[in-house]
Amino acid sequence: MMKKPLAGIINISINNILSIKRALEYIGYNTLIINEYENIEKFDLIVLPGVGAFKEAMNKLIETNQLKSIEQALQKNKKFLGICLGMQLLFEKSEEFGLTKGIGFFQGNVENFNKHSVDQETFIGWNRVKFTNEKYFIDKKSIKKDLLNNAFYFIHSYFVKCRNQDIEVGISSNGKLNFSSIVKHKKVVAFQFHPEKSGKSGLLLLSNALKNL
Amino acid sequence: MIKRIIARLDIKNKFLVKGMHLEGLRILGYPEFFAEKYFNENIDEIIFQDVVASLYKRNQLSSLTNKITKNIFTPITVGGGIRSIDDIKEVLINGADRVSINTAAVNNKKFIKEAVKVFGSSTITITIETLKVEGKYKVYTDTGRTSTNLDVFEWIKEVQEIGVGEIILTSINNEGVGKGFDLNLYDKASKLSKISLLAHGGARNPDDVYKVLANSNVDGVIIASAFHFNYYKELLKKKDISLQGSTNFLMNKDYKNLFFFGIQELKKYLKTKNINVR
Repeated sequence: MMKKPLAGIINISINNILSIKRALEYIGYNTLIINEYENIEKFDLIVLPGVGAFKEAMNKLIETNQLKSIEQALQKNKKFLGICLGMQLLFEKSEEFGLTKGIGFFQGNVENFNKHSVDQETFIGWNRVKFTNEKYFIDKKSIKKDLLNNAFYFIHSYFVKCRNQDIEVGISSNGKLNFSSIVKHKKVVAFQFHPEKSGKSGLLLLSNALKNL
Repeated sequence: MIKRIIARLDIKNKFLVKGMHLEGLRILGYPEFFAEKYFNENIDEIIFQDVVASLYKRNQLSSLTNKITKNIFTPITVGGGIRSIDDIKEVLINGADRVSINTAAVNNKKFIKEAVKVFGSSTITITIETLKVEGKYKVYTDTGRTSTNLDVFEWIKEVQEIGVGEIILTSINNEGVGKGFDLNLYDKASKLSKISLLAHGGARNPDDVYKVLANSNVDGVIIASAFHFNYYKELLKKKDISLQGSTNFLMNKDYKNLFFFGIQELKKYLKTKNINVR
């Protein structure tokens, strides 16, 4: 039997890492929860999930030294997955509760919906994604229509504004505002929505995205 | 916006129960079988509600949430008897994405403010149960058992100011009796609500669901009885349910005119009516 790849999930206290752990196990990973600085050599994938406030999460990453693990993973070109707040943390800065500096892997900022013309300032629910580079998310076995016409589960009040459009591989909208819902650069892919909570299509999308990294 | 079709599972002890007007509870079976079925049928979200927790001041939902959510990759809201920051943490750690709070919100607004601060707006949903008495919509707590002096529309404004992310509005008059949604209530409430508002209570057929989505600006509907009654026969074949569920009541004449429809059937119908569903 082939050895399963190992995913290390960064734990920033108040987030539901059980769902992402179960989803990764469902698509064929073994998982380990990372609570403090850890040598990332043994992992095939590092996952930064997250629900909650940007500043609090950033402080936590610094306090626990987990930031160092993340930086090493990014430097060493490890496969890396960001979800929701985990995606936003990978950008340069956020305007949530005053300006907070982020990890800065992706160029761009995190902004609040409430300054824009949107349908919902706190968006809770399913939303569609326009895939600008389909080949990242489709393998030959999966059915294109099923995957790309589906909607995915979003829950957020902040969104990402990329400075470099080349990294934007998925775009969604809230009212008149378009925002990046999936970004990819080198071996890092990040989702604003929750593929682990988006039914079978979400799991398939996640699985394909990680395979093609 | 995509309108959400949400299933609600009322839980007492470890069983799925269903009543009328939030009372007269009957056991239908194990919630995990129903939840898994609904996930496979493409439900947009599932709510687990411990229907007696706030009354007896106890919590049992976290271990059950952990068990039920094992094979389910869809958003989960958990409610019933949530009274503290630790209660919220406990269910979030065990697989819930959001929590819904009713009784504790009415009794302790400070707690809601604190919860919003700690977990963020989008994690905190307020459930409002309302009974129309002499033309006025009053707020009830403890799963419809305790009355308050609060007016529903005032309470909707107030919880928004506190900063919660979503409101579930249950009509006790229409709940579990299948007489359609209270369109007047949801039209008025959705005009007042700038945040996500969900309608619960009254779905008898797909057209009732269409009507509330077409005649008000609610973001989704919550359905319990109609889905449970639609799928219970199939799930009854699972040995564990037939042993545990006292479903004989479903054969009684009171239940002859049972209302039921499937998740896919409902979504198909709504699509023909140009409602944006997944």
